[in-house]
Amino acid sequence: MSFAELHALLPQLILALGATAVLMLGAWWPSRSCWILSGVGLAFAAAISAGLLVPSVAEIGGMFSTAPYARFFTILWSLLVGLTLLLSLRYAETHRFAGAEYTSLVLFAGAGMSLLSAASSLVGLFLGLEAFTLVLYVLIAFNRGDTIGAEAGLKYLVMGAVATGFLAFGIALIYTSSGSFHLPEAMHGLQQGDHMRPLGLAGWAMLLVAIGFKVSLVQFHLWTPDVYQGAPAPVTGLLATGSKGAVFASLIPLFAAMGALAGELNSVLAVLATLSMVGGTLAALPQRNLKRMLAYSSVVHMGYLLLGLMSGGADGQRAVVFYIIVYGIATLGAFGVVTSFSRADGEPQDYETFHGLGYRHPRRCIALSAFLLSLAGIPPMAGFFGKFGIFHAALKSDHQVLALVGILTALVSLYYYLRPIIVLFMQERPAHELRRGWIHEFVVLAVCFSLVLLLGIYPGPLLELIGQVLPQP
Amino acid sequence: MTASVAVHFPLLSLLLWLPLGGTLLCLLFRHSGNLCRWASLLTTVAVLCLSLWMAFQSLGGNGWLFYEDAAWIEPFGIRYMLGMDGISLLLVLLTALLQVAAILISWQQKEHPAFFYALILVMETGIIGVFLALDLVMFYLFWELMLIPMFFLIGVWGHENRVYAAVKFFFFTLAGSLCLLLAIISLYLIHGGQTGEYTFALEALRQTVLTPGTEMILYVGFMLAFIVKVPLFPFHTWLPDAHTEAPPAGSVDLAGLLLKTGVYGMIRFAFPLFPGAAERSLPLLAVLSLVGIFYAAWVAYAQTDLKRVIAYSSVAHLGFVILGLAAWNQLAWEGSLLLMINHGITTGALFVMIAMISDRAGTRELEHLGGLWSVFPNLSAFFLLFCLASLGLPGLANFSGEILVLFGTFKAQPLWGGLAVAGVVFSAAYMLRVVQSSLWGESKVLQRSDDLGPREWLILIPLALLVVLLGVYPAPVLDFLREPVSLLLATGGMP
Repeated sequence: MSFAELHALLPQLILALGATAVLMLGAWWPSRSCWILSGVGLAFAAAISAGLLVPSVAEIGGMFSTAPYARFFTILWSLLVGLTLLLSLRYAETHRFAGAEYTSLVLFAGAGMSLLSAASSLVGLFLGLEAFTLVLYVLIAFNRGDTIGAEAGLKYLVMGAVATGFLAFGIALIYTSSGSFHLPEAMHGLQQGDHMRPLGLAGWAMLLVAIGFKVSLVQFHLWTPDVYQGAPAPVTGLLATGSKGAVFASLIPLFAAMGALAGELNSVLAVLATLSMVGGTLAALPQRNLKRMLAYSSVVHMGYLLLGLMSGGADGQRAVVFYIIVYGIATLGAFGVVTSFSRADGEPQDYETFHGLGYRHPRRCIALSAFLLSLAGIPPMAGFFGKFGIFHAALKSDHQVLALVGILTALVSLYYYLRPIIVLFMQERPAHELRRGWIHEFVVLAVCFSLVLLLGIYPGPLLELIGQVLPQP
Repeated sequence: MTASVAVHFPLLSLLLWLPLGGTLLCLLFRHSGNLCRWASLLTTVAVLCLSLWMAFQSLGGNGWLFYEDAAWIEPFGIRYMLGMDGISLLLVLLTALLQVAAILISWQQKEHPAFFYALILVMETGIIGVFLALDLVMFYLFWELMLIPMFFLIGVWGHENRVYAAVKFFFFTLAGSLCLLLAIISLYLIHGGQTGEYTFALEALRQTVLTPGTEMILYVGFMLAFIVKVPLFPFHTWLPDAHTEAPPAGSVDLAGLLLKTGVYGMIRFAFPLFPGAAERSLPLLAVLSLVGIFYAAWVAYAQTDLKRVIAYSSVAHLGFVILGLAAWNQLAWEGSLLLMINHGITTGALFVMIAMISDRAGTRELEHLGGLWSVFPNLSAFFLLFCLASLGLPGLANFSGEILVLFGTFKAQPLWGGLAVAGVVFSAAYMLRVVQSSLWGESKVLQRSDDLGPREWLILIPLALLVVLLGVYPAPVLDFLREPVSLLLATGGMP
């Protein structure tokens, strides 16, 4: 690996080597907040370096691209990791987390996500995906002594291992059919009439199964509610936003490389998207637990993202990236609120604990309502333009029926997003006070809240930026 | 597209965002109910003064009285486009007036006053935005912006069954809105495909060439949103629930303003964009509005809750408005729009009065009221005036609009007109029942409180004056309507 390549890899190196350093130094000097805060610093340093340094090579090791697209997501995931760490500060304090270990794991997750989004070969894809999945196995069960957390971790481990198996086998089959791991070339064996085509298609089917597990599309989503519920709230936030967003980010170049094949996969994808939108919505309706509701709602959002991905073209890609961002902001914010309310003896998740809380903690509850309304796609929240972009792309590429399904599920989804809001503000029962928030948590929530409003009113600049970084066809 | 009043200052933006500034003040002063109260009152009064000033500035003007256009979200071709013609101007005036009344009627709001006033002001921005927006996405944004405050107003400050009513309101209107959104995006894509220029500007989209089938589908998408909001029979079931549970200010806004946005959407967007489909749908619209007039009157007669009676009477009146639109001629349209303004004032006033009555009597049930006249003569006199106006007594507000609608309808379809006249009789029946069972008879209400206080006089006198004025001399209003209406009818178009 040349110096130029290392230079291009610097943001990921900052995250990964920084994580290693924190892990080792933490053994000597066990100070929780110090290490978490230095993790925040490292993450922001990675984001800044990804934004300022111009890479001199186009590809690193033939596996990871250094295109503006990859840089964009590196910045995004670094910031996400930084915000997650900032958010975790008090949570880690009250739950007596091992600070250095926690910090280094989250940083590793950020490195993995940014590698995945930058993947330009199937090997890179595998490496990136496994890097942060492995980290998440640990993070989900990080709450020692919490049996639900342990169960969630185990569930994610088993499901994740199965998915990894599918992924590896799928990649192997695609490699067999095309003779290359590298992205545009890996698709060459799949042209119509090629005798290796059936093998390649089988590989793609397996790849889709693995992706379905990772982003929890319906039929592969069964782990989601339990893991969401069991994992510590900040980790759930990371899982819901970063890991799913990074997978979708990696799928955009993958689908762009497919060309005609993408059209043939569309029928399968349409079924997955429809099932996810409808199934997730129906499953979310009866939930009375905020984290489980958000789990099912994330299934629905993955369906929307898939719809945008199928629509393809510059419009579809832009819509998907924008959606990943606004969905991520609102989700991080929602889990941030749960984090800030949590106490040593548990997190408030059941709607019963939220009764009338809106008047006890107005700022956080208004923020939570804004995040939920954004997820529901109600203007003037950012989620509206996310959905707008997706439906725009879907109609443009003649997916009228799917767009209609999307609109209908958006309507029904309103019910389960309104329920917590109703409980927060429209129930009389006098609420007991939950945790007072820390300034760190308020900073993160304020960032998310203002972004949700800002992107809902003036999304133009971000949309233009996304249009510029998208991989050129 | 020239502004007849050459004002370089963005007055429309000021008008639009002023209430939102008041919202921020309210949230800033949220620990002092009194400061919030005054901040919101001053904001609404400022909006009223500004809109009155703009009305005087544009007396006798033609075309867009005020117009603004700026780039906004360029990747999607969404523009910040505001325009005010005579119709918008009148509706903005109505909004500004009723919002002052809404603030004054809820002056003694004790529960979370800051949030309450903040929401009313957010809603004012939403409503004014709907009346001014000329870009379809912008229109949609404001259309939805009205929704959230109303949801909270009903859900938080409403009566016993408030959550049910709030959710029902939200779902009905959102279902319509999402159809509208799909139709807007489809129209945008079709237009973009034809001309290569992707834009949501109303002016440009009107030039889109559509096949009759597509036109009908898109038209239905638009109309569903508007019909639910109006509400036209059989999409009206959310309205009585919302009214019954809403706090007084919510009812005033709902009946006085929110319902008008649906009609406005039809004449500004649905009809001009899809004239062919609109023309084919007129008989259906007329039938639905006629059924609505009779059905609502019939149901209103059976109600025991004062608020529900007035809610159903709104359905009947809005039926008249839509009937006038379906007649599709100048006279009927002017009548419809005039009736809309008049209905906003009378019904707004009626809901204000119902709040005053139920404050004093502790109930809105007709059977528990009665003999109010002997206890509260001043209040009862005002109530009688507004009730008579509502049933269409000549010389009072609603009559002038209704009679124009009837004339216009007779000109277009004598049968519709004949049936509608019978509807007027029906409305007399239930309103007289309200008057009879609340004002006269044995007094069942203990005299616990006084007759009208100064604040209440302040609300009622302007409304009463307007009711009389609009009934006797509606000419100034019609002057504002004439030119825009003839333009809309002639070219389906814009100044």
